[in-house]
Amino acid sequence: MTASDILLRVENLSKHFPTKTGSVKAVDGVTFDIKRGTIVGLVGESGSGKTTAGRCTLRLIEPSGGRLIFDGKDLLSLSEREMRSYRRRMQIVFQDPYSSLNPRMRVEDIIGEAIDTHNLARGAAKRERIAELLTRVGLDPEHGRRYPHEFSGGQRQRIGIARALAVEPEFIVADEPVSALDVSVQAQVLNLIQDLQQSYGLTMLFIAHDLSVVEYLCDEVVVMYLGRVMERGPSRSVYAMPRHPYTQALLSAAPVPNPKAHRQRVILQGDIPSPMNPPSGCVFRTRCPYAIDACAEVVPPLDPIAPDHHVACIRRDDPVVLSQGKRL
Amino acid sequence: MSELPADIVLRVDRLRTHFELGSRVAKSVDDVSFDVRRGETVAVVGESGSGKSVTSLSIMRLLAPPGRIVEGEILYRTSDGRILDIATLSQKDMRRIRGREIAMIFQEPMTSLNPLYTVGDQIIEMIRLHEPLSKLEARKRARQMLELVEIPAAERRLDEYPHQMSGGMRQRAMIALALSCNPKLLIADEPTTALDVTIQAQILDLLRRLQAEIGMSILFITHNLGVVADIAHDVVVMYAGRVVEQTSSERLFEHQKHPYSRGLLACIPDASRDRGPSGERLRLNPIPGNVPSVMALPKGCSFAPRCPLRIARCEEDPPLLVAEPHHLSRCWRHDDL
Ligand SMILES: Nc1ncnc2c1ncn2[C@@H]1O[C@H](COP(=O)(O)OP(=O)(O)OP(=O)(O)O)[C@@H](O)[C@H]1O
Ligand SMILES: Nc1ncnc2c1ncn2[C@@H]1O[C@H](COP(=O)(O)OP(=O)(O)OP(=O)(O)O)[C@@H](O)[C@H]1O
Ligand SMILES: [Mg+2]
Ligand SMILES: [Mg+2]
Repeated sequence: MTASDILLRVENLSKHFPTKTGSVKAVDGVTFDIKRGTIVGLVGESGSGKTTAGRCTLRLIEPSGGRLIFDGKDLLSLSEREMRSYRRRMQIVFQDPYSSLNPRMRVEDIIGEAIDTHNLARGAAKRERIAELLTRVGLDPEHGRRYPHEFSGGQRQRIGIARALAVEPEFIVADEPVSALDVSVQAQVLNLIQDLQQSYGLTMLFIAHDLSVVEYLCDEVVVMYLGRVMERGPSRSVYAMPRHPYTQALLSAAPVPNPKAHRQRVILQGDIPSPMNPPSGCVFRTRCPYAIDACAEVVPPLDPIAPDHHVACIRRDDPVVLSQGKRL
Repeated sequence: MSELPADIVLRVDRLRTHFELGSRVAKSVDDVSFDVRRGETVAVVGESGSGKSVTSLSIMRLLAPPGRIVEGEILYRTSDGRILDIATLSQKDMRRIRGREIAMIFQEPMTSLNPLYTVGDQIIEMIRLHEPLSKLEARKRARQMLELVEIPAAERRLDEYPHQMSGGMRQRAMIALALSCNPKLLIADEPTTALDVTIQAQILDLLRRLQAEIGMSILFITHNLGVVADIAHDVVVMYAGRVVEQTSSERLFEHQKHPYSRGLLACIPDASRDRGPSGERLRLNPIPGNVPSVMALPKGCSFAPRCPLRIARCEEDPPLLVAEPHHLSRCWRHDDL
């Protein structure tokens, strides 16, 4: 693979939030690539740093360290002025279709605002563009005259997507775009996202906590825990044979609509520790069923085990860990 | 006095709960019937706005005006063997049922837990409200309750305030509070929806274990069919305020007899079904359109405008029909499914 196949390279990204009681290591040395035209899923429990990582990749919040190489350019070396032309190429879609749209603005003005910010069109051309965007996300151009509260959750999420598409981005970070939706509506939005990927070659970082949605939609998956990447790789390989005990536990805990699916369930004990004061060595070891003394000693490196498939676990080749992965 | 087969703890019979809003009426629950058997879990599943919470609030008689039970019976068998119609009970009698006989847990633990008191004090107060125990005895019982829900260091946790606990721990504390008077029926309204899957698995496991140990019945409300498959014996599928299908969990997932249930299951992405031979994604099959408002239901079958099997007869409202033994469907065409 050549470097130009990669649209975004996230290298050793970190974000530490200083607080009164200490520093929160929300993202701590995260590395992954996103190939052009693919959808990469970012999964992990609440507080694992998905939103922070997603926002850092767009420089909506300033990373504390690491590199972001977008289309060959190191974004963190750019001034805010130089960043402007890149901002148009990278957009975000938020989780909450209710609070992410200004209730006092008409839908056409919400979408128009994005067009104005980047001076993309005016007057009749702008109106035409808005109508075209609404059609593209499956809404009626007439809907532009209405206000957000007049729409259902799924329709509002479409408006959020239309707003992101207004500036013709190459890359979109979608932060849990379907989590607040009912399944019948979620399926409509997932079809829309696929259409956009296929017809416009959109590249996407798709943040989610529903593992079956990620398995279906994403080409690759990155599994985070307490600010770090535990495992990443092509969805097919990770789901077929999860190698990290955390990935195994996550997959085994996800309920599937089949009462006969008697899976070997790994019930994790306890809760995710505080990112203020993460465990030494492997951050997952306090909940890991296979932890040994050595896990407290060193941070396990994210080692390649197959093309594009990486795992951060010192016991990844141990027969007990391997066999649990096979049973899922 | 009404009759109730011996193994049935709760029978909801043709319940209608409406909200009268000026000249308009929201028919939030409109003809809902189901039984909950002793020691079993019934799941009520449906999308947002289908009437799941209004059903559970009706059973608890916690509806706020203008919400009102306009028709139907809610028969409940008490611990001492009496059969009461909760729908017509006085609030005074209902206070004796709530907590002791039927307890409820919610998605948001802070709707049950008071932020100003320690978790221990709240459980102790609940126990002493229903049983003549000394403070010390009640505290011991409270500690056992926290141990029962697997909260580590229970003695110390008794003296903590809810905000000092993590989300999963608060959820457990709420369950401990709900179970502290040994209810016969637990109504759980989306108790795991806000939790991570790993914590959800812990809580579902806990409820299953508690059910086996205490023998309580559970009415479990959820919009997640995966959770239904995991925990329920029987399932009630709701759509726009009505029961559209009802059967055992095993049967429902094997063979849906209502186009809505079938559509719902087809929407959930499943990589083994929705990916082609070389791993390419196949499109999902969403149910077209949106859920109708309970203020403006279509004439006839409420699902008909979105239904791929619609026929002329669907303008006539179908009743819940027996599709097969122990399998009900509100669809004229259940035989074609
Ligand atoms: N501005 C901030 N100041 C301090 N801590 C923060 C800030 N933003 C996030 N955090 C902390 O960083 C950690 C990661 O948060 P983040 O929102 O990225 O997680 P997430 O994986 O998106 O979780 P969720 O699934 O709940 O959305 C959390 O512990 C959070 O409390
Ligand atoms: N206080 C109220 N006044 C008017 N309408 C109400 C009131 N409470 C509920 N409703 C309506 O009753 C219908 C059913 O609501 P309910 O809360 O039972 O839905 P639900 O199935 O629990 O949905 P969710 O999955 O979103 O919790 C909804 O259309 C709702 O708008
Ligand atoms: Mg987030
Ligand atoms: Mg509800």
